[in-house]
Amino acid sequence: MAQHNLRTVIAFEVGRTLGKKKFWIITLLVPIAIGIVVGLVTLGNTSSMNTIDAQSDASITFTYSDASGYVDPAVATTLGGTAVTDDAAAIADVKAGEEDAHFVYPANPATTPTQVYGVDKGLFGNGAYEGVATQVLISSAQDQIGDPALTTLAQGDVSVNAITYTNGEEAAGFLGVVPPLIFLGLFFLTFTLLSNQMLTSTLEEKENRVTEMILTTLNPTALISGKIISVFIVGFVQVMVFLLPVLVGYLFFRTSLNLPEVDLSSFSFDPAKMIVGALLAVGGFALFTGTAVAIGAVMPNAKDAGGWFTALIILMIVPLYSVSLVLSDPHSLVVQLFTYFPYSAPITAMLRNAFGSLSGWEAAIVITELFLLSAVVLQLAVRLFRYGSIEYTNRVSFKTVFAGRKAKSLALR
Amino acid sequence: MTIAAGSLVHIENFRMDFAGTTVIEDLSFDVMRGETFGFLGSNGSGKTTTLRALLGIYIPTGGILHIDGRPFTPEAGIRLGYLPEERGLYKKESVLAVMTYFGELKGLSKKAAAAWSMKYLERVGLGDKAKVRVDKLSGGQQQKVQLGVTIMNDPELLILDEPTKGFDPVNRRLLMDIIEEQKKAGATVLMVTHQMEEVERLCDRVILLKGGRAEAYGTIPEVQNQYGGTMIRVAYSGEIPASAHYEISLRDRNYAELTLLDTVDEALILRDLVDAGVLIRSFTTSKLSLEEIFVSVYGDQNEMAGA
Repeated sequence: MAQHNLRTVIAFEVGRTLGKKKFWIITLLVPIAIGIVVGLVTLGNTSSMNTIDAQSDASITFTYSDASGYVDPAVATTLGGTAVTDDAAAIADVKAGEEDAHFVYPANPATTPTQVYGVDKGLFGNGAYEGVATQVLISSAQDQIGDPALTTLAQGDVSVNAITYTNGEEAAGFLGVVPPLIFLGLFFLTFTLLSNQMLTSTLEEKENRVTEMILTTLNPTALISGKIISVFIVGFVQVMVFLLPVLVGYLFFRTSLNLPEVDLSSFSFDPAKMIVGALLAVGGFALFTGTAVAIGAVMPNAKDAGGWFTALIILMIVPLYSVSLVLSDPHSLVVQLFTYFPYSAPITAMLRNAFGSLSGWEAAIVITELFLLSAVVLQLAVRLFRYGSIEYTNRVSFKTVFAGRKAKSLALR
Repeated sequence: MTIAAGSLVHIENFRMDFAGTTVIEDLSFDVMRGETFGFLGSNGSGKTTTLRALLGIYIPTGGILHIDGRPFTPEAGIRLGYLPEERGLYKKESVLAVMTYFGELKGLSKKAAAAWSMKYLERVGLGDKAKVRVDKLSGGQQQKVQLGVTIMNDPELLILDEPTKGFDPVNRRLLMDIIEEQKKAGATVLMVTHQMEEVERLCDRVILLKGGRAEAYGTIPEVQNQYGGTMIRVAYSGEIPASAHYEISLRDRNYAELTLLDTVDEALILRDLVDAGVLIRSFTTSKLSLEEIFVSVYGDQNEMAGA
């Protein structure tokens, strides 16, 4: 019977949420907005590329004066330039529209800016002057060096591949940090999407005066469990709907969106870190959702519950505001407090786990703490719902709930 | 603990304190299988508190509250139909969806729950509202849906807390008919109401709750007798003497109303009056109605409340 009721609650809760137009409108708004942004970005990028290509192809004529002696006249001529000595006259020609541009190369172009005077061709068109003026210098310098590799080195365009070791083993570095951080992202995303739904879900029984009917028909544990599972299913659907356009965008429009190609094989998946990350995420989710249910059971309406819920969110995200401290000094008192205080523990511990500063025994303590407290909070939430949700219009005190009785003024009916 | 044979609901020495104040002091009664039992009392006398304690929503301070021989839980196996004083349904869902949901929770299959719901809705004139959201119904229509949810799956025990609250007279009659049908089908009914005519029509036995205790308990005739039961209205000449058997509740010139204080025969009273020299011109006898008893029991409380 208990299993039957649990299934019934899940089917009812999921069915009525997914069956509502409002849910789909709100849910689809996000991917539609993402789609519109993607479309605009694609369109913009395509247009920009076309413009840049057109500008690259377009040739300009210019005059120049060179006080530095670095400009190679042959290079300048190839790019459409003519050397002059009278800057004022050249500028006057530009003003009169007889010449596209005039460049004044100073004695030391490395420290003093090159002056460019040109006929206005719009925001993007004007960029061509700067490009050509710079290209004249670069090509001239390359010609003088005579070695393309040396030119590249001179420009500082070099890459370094660092290999570090931990306990004699090659450390994964940044590529080892990203995979465990996925759990932090999932935790944050699911909680943000689902917890408000969880909060209002239990408030509904109270606000609609359904509590007594429910409590005499169904075990509150089955109801609460059913709601948690339902919210998770609904949230999963929401996440899938959100992720679908991202996936489509990456797979089919990666080039036009200028998205980097991600090579999953380059990431390092440390099994221990992944397991710890997953356990922290599940434990944290259970703790926060249980707490959201408990708040919903105690508060008379969504407005009153909102304040407490905000406090819960602040507790959760406060470690993110001190992320640099968490990463740079994980053993400081503040970070230790964040690590072991249950409501700041999930994010702090997940960050430290990803960056390798959470030891095995610390992870064990935090995970145990989260799961134990989740179980306690879930029981508390059930008890609060059982004895708190009957107080339809009043906030319930913990003293009342633990006494298992109601205030006289409310009970005398 | 002594449970009477045939008892479905057994309450013994029930006590309920809230924040140091005693609401129910010492209450004991049984509701027998198949009977309709009226649970009466003024506002604030603790009726709803008793029902909630019986159903495990409140934890009693003391005493025994059993249904079918044990404390009630939703898993206890008894088919319960409970219509609480605080009414409510999932307002954003359709009538049929809500009724089907509760039907499933009460052990019916989804198909059976939906079929039963449609049949019930047709009967109470809401057949065309099955797909309508609950909050689009009138208050009376919502009450009908709530009653439907209550009587789904042939309840063995119906607990109704002011069932006619919010019903117009026509629908009140319909509701009474439905309750009567449930009774005929074998359901035990425990009903809280302030409508004394409903009690007189439906209830086999009643209890009157006052000051946290049972003020009266038994069949309706027994309760009427407990309160003197009978009234003699007499037109007379002479002087009506005082007596331990009656109270002169009204005296106006040659007319008087005598409320009998015990179960003494009316004929004996009349003989005593004649023997005392009273010339009786005419007389009628009648039982006190439950409403009159209710007013006499709780009138002082209401006066105090109104003061």
